[in-house]
Amino acid sequence: MSIARPKSALSSPNRVVPVLGLLALVLVWVLDLGAILPNRIVPGTGHGLLSAVGWVGATLVTGALIGCLLLSVLPLRSRYLTLLILVSVSLALLPLLLDVFAARHLPENSPYARSSIGSGFWCLLFLLSLMLIEIFGRLGSGRGFQLIVLAGICGSWVWLFQGAGLESLSLVREFNAQPDKFEQALWTHLALALGAVTISAGLAFVLALQMIRSVAWRRPVLGVVSFLQTIPSLAVFGLLIAPLSALTEAFPVLQTLGIRGIGWAPAMLALVAYSLLPMVRNTYVALTEVPESLADAGRGMGMNERQLFFKLKLPLALPVIVEGVRITTIQAIGLTAVAALIGAGGFGSFIFQGLGQAAMDLVLLGALPTIALALLADALLTTLAVSLRPKSATV
Amino acid sequence: MIELKNVTRRFGQAVAVDSINLTIETGEVCVLVGSSGCGKSTTLRMINRLLPHSAGEILVDGEDITTMNPEKLRLNMGYVIQGTGLFPHWTVARNIAMVPALLKWPQARIDERVHELLTLLDLDPAIHAGKFPQQLSGGQAQRVGVARALAANPNILLMDEPFGALDAITRENLQQELLRIQQQVRKTTVFVTHDIDEALKLATRIAVMDQGRIIQHDTPENILRRPASEFVENLVGKQDRGLKLMSLRRVGDLMQRYPQPVNPEPGVEGVQEDDSLRLALSVMLWQENGELPVFNGEGAKTGVITRERILQAGA
Repeated sequence: MSIARPKSALSSPNRVVPVLGLLALVLVWVLDLGAILPNRIVPGTGHGLLSAVGWVGATLVTGALIGCLLLSVLPLRSRYLTLLILVSVSLALLPLLLDVFAARHLPENSPYARSSIGSGFWCLLFLLSLMLIEIFGRLGSGRGFQLIVLAGICGSWVWLFQGAGLESLSLVREFNAQPDKFEQALWTHLALALGAVTISAGLAFVLALQMIRSVAWRRPVLGVVSFLQTIPSLAVFGLLIAPLSALTEAFPVLQTLGIRGIGWAPAMLALVAYSLLPMVRNTYVALTEVPESLADAGRGMGMNERQLFFKLKLPLALPVIVEGVRITTIQAIGLTAVAALIGAGGFGSFIFQGLGQAAMDLVLLGALPTIALALLADALLTTLAVSLRPKSATV
Repeated sequence: MIELKNVTRRFGQAVAVDSINLTIETGEVCVLVGSSGCGKSTTLRMINRLLPHSAGEILVDGEDITTMNPEKLRLNMGYVIQGTGLFPHWTVARNIAMVPALLKWPQARIDERVHELLTLLDLDPAIHAGKFPQQLSGGQAQRVGVARALAANPNILLMDEPFGALDAITRENLQQELLRIQQQVRKTTVFVTHDIDEALKLATRIAVMDQGRIIQHDTPENILRRPASEFVENLVGKQDRGLKLMSLRRVGDLMQRYPQPVNPEPGVEGVQEDDSLRLALSVMLWQENGELPVFNGEGAKTGVITRERILQAGA
């Protein structure tokens, strides 16, 4: 019996992958794969799949997608393993399309000309990623295996983007124009987001413990942190400028520490304020939801309150607390981008510069790493939370 | 020995336990029985100071428990509760090792003790030691709960409706198991239940409680024969008393014993020496038989029991 079930699961056709594959096939032929721009601002001329990468490229792309379609409907034994290999190799080699496109179409002797990524390419990337997620789910593979595959794909992208062929890509041009600023933005972004998460985690832990210890703290603390969450983020950034300026004027010592009405100080304050609600709520709920019968048993066996906290309550609450940290981290990474408006730096500065100069690729240079950071934080913290959870009821 | 002297517990205005006196001798099983809200669990929880008593005195081996460190007091009292209270993030072995670990036993001694207890409670250490509580059946989990309570060899065992959430068959098995273990380890046990049959089966003495007071404190036989009030009479089941008394007595006490145990003929059904007279009578009625062979623990036939003897002896 135990052999029959996975076998039948493998041989029954998949419905999600062919739909995604068909959609990708249509979109990649209908939409532009890329565009050639004479310079940074002027809109360029789009190129469809065939025109962009020629017959060979178009055949390969079409072949890969049709391959996915066939693999998912034909009666096969190791369907998902084959699909996984096909889809992840396609994803890993995707930048090659841009490489070929640039080589074929970029006019020589025009230093300002650049190639740009078209909607067809984005759709292909997005739909292939969805297929990968579906295949992971069907394979029931562990997180470690998934991370290895993803790391392989990312590694291939990094390697391909370092090659000479993609130098003309507008995104790469924008990066190459200011690599130092990019690195600085990365560190500022990380420092702001992770700093705020760390501070609010510490603060939330203390507040949650205080709320558990005394009932009088419960409502006011939850009320204040909920209220902080309801103020629009831009308003908080704006509101903090005046009081912080006044404060630094009154105490010039603060100015030497780099605290001013704009810059990292108000950004950090606002980020901490925003992070408090999910953090306090999760920590408080996690610690109070430990069943009273367990605490009763522990106490009855002779544990003191300290031992109960460290041996029972904290270990059981930790997965939920980490979940709070995960939500907060993703939220803080996103909000840090907005904090660039008050001069805090980070990837947000590229986004707002790009918007100001109508240079969409500069916007992407800020937006894409922000998304990547959020996804990375999500993956890492989910893995951590899963590893902390007590073993499931499988025999 | 545990002594309760004029012990009272109030929750605000309400009196949960009303000036009770109770002495539990060393090595006996005292079962507190009564309907819910009668104060039996409260009484139990005052003995290990999970609840402080409002008035009166509780002495354990002559020492007033309020003068003792509560954690130290509890480390010497095994505690078993209804929902097992096993820590879900700890393996069975680590759960059992809880108190020895708190007492900082060396690891080798802890491992040895866990192995010993799992075997005592009829759980295979090789299979069960590494499991998590969620992977156990209800009966197995409660066995682990009992093992955990016995781990550091406490003098006293407190059990708060430990088998209340189990199905009838599992409960029966665990009751037998507890009787067997109690014969080996002889712990001073306070056992709380609302099930009078469980009380009659396990107790050396029963304390019947109602509205915070002890109505009667006596042996199971006396509770059945001479109920102190109508309440007790109704609790034990007025009409059912004859059979209940029969279930207190062993076949071994009333059988006609052979001078030498003999090997039984194969395929013959009979009863064990440790079975109750009630069971023997039931088997006779079912088989329409006036006489049953009696076997000992090793399966040898040691004598017979007849219907006449049982009916003559009466209730």
